[in-house]
Amino acid sequence: MSGASESDREELARRQSELLGALIAGDPVPAGFDPGRVEVQVLSLAAKRRDGVERAMPGLVAALGPQRWPSEFTAWARSHPKPAEGGSRADAEAFATYVEGMRVGGEGAVQTEGAVQTEGAVQTERRRTWWERRRARRRGGDGGGWNPDAHY
Amino acid sequence: MLLGVVVFELTGRGAVGIGWRPEIDLVVERLDGVGFVEVIAENVCDGHALPASLRLMRERGVPVVPHGVSLGIGGAERPDAARLARLASVAERLDAPLVSEHLAFVRAGGMEAGHLLPVPRTRAALRVIAENVRIAQDALPVPLALENPATLLSWPENELTEGEFLAELVALTGVSLLIDVANLHTERVNHSADPARALAELPLESVAYVHIAGGELRGGLWHDTHAAAVPPAVLEILAMLCERRVPPGVLLERDGAFPPPDELAGEMAAIRRVVAGAGVRG
Repeated sequence: MSGASESDREELARRQSELLGALIAGDPVPAGFDPGRVEVQVLSLAAKRRDGVERAMPGLVAALGPQRWPSEFTAWARSHPKPAEGGSRADAEAFATYVEGMRVGGEGAVQTEGAVQTEGAVQTERRRTWWERRRARRRGGDGGGWNPDAHY
Repeated sequence: MLLGVVVFELTGRGAVGIGWRPEIDLVVERLDGVGFVEVIAENVCDGHALPASLRLMRERGVPVVPHGVSLGIGGAERPDAARLARLASVAERLDAPLVSEHLAFVRAGGMEAGHLLPVPRTRAALRVIAENVRIAQDALPVPLALENPATLLSWPENELTEGEFLAELVALTGVSLLIDVANLHTERVNHSADPARALAELPLESVAYVHIAGGELRGGLWHDTHAAAVPPAVLEILAMLCERRVPPGVLLERDGAFPPPDELAGEMAAIRRVVAGAGVRG
């Protein structure tokens, strides 16, 4: 068999981008896929990201509480891909920014007393130093020098 | 390529191993009869000393195989040179006999999936992926083995079965295989793919080692969680594989809901019994 042509690569890139867009960026389900299975995969990927955020920023999860975590993260993650750089840390930062935006009338704003209180806790979490975060991760089972984004 | 002979010459055919994880490092180093271990390649950080228990395994002569999860060799882009260099450096630090990765894509269109996604099994995709595999093989100091991933989705344009696709990939590139028997079970539950047919299609002489793990049935679909005991249905697929050809090694993967050490030892003993039973019959 001869090598791959550029058109082989372009077609593969097009189809994989279409599918990934549907899985993590809220794009429509590409032609031919079973929408039910795509939905299962969307939730599975969001759950994996959620685990990473829980390890990277446990204070954020605690601040949001069971009323808002993980449901708001799962809803947000459907149309907000994980940042290409920075791993779960960056993902947690992006979600924290979104949660703050909810208080000040940004995207998806909801004005509730709970949201205001949560925002203070989110600010506190983001001000923590790297060693405080690392200590928190260690308590959660991640050792120093280990990548909290590892997935198997 | 009789890679297994090279890779596991210290342990012989049918070695039983376990995935080394930081959460169970002491358990793994104290288990009896660990023939080899695997470490998630991305978890071996540049500039940090190797964890003490991995160093201990190396001192004992236990082979350590780096298992990558983020190369995305099934993607449309050529594999990234920096990622390959890192994988090569991890293999060298561990004095690894081989490295393993997945037949999967993990990024596209500037987006990161964060997990392994299936590739479309078309002839055109096969040409692309074969080229990607050759690029990776050229950049790595040791042989590469590719694993069949667990999937929830399948591509409408699939032209080949998974067994056919992997067999073609082996024929084109000489790549070795890491066959996950739990993922063959996943394919049976999620896509009605017969594991016996897959085993008949796969070139079992190219299998470097085998993965086995537990998962969870939710909503009629099998989720490959690695957070439960290996179920009998998966052990049966291992037995089917071993009856055709005993692989060089079988490795238990456990990534969550870690059980007491006795339970892990019991799981490894059950795997050993299946492998030994096939040896007696075969």
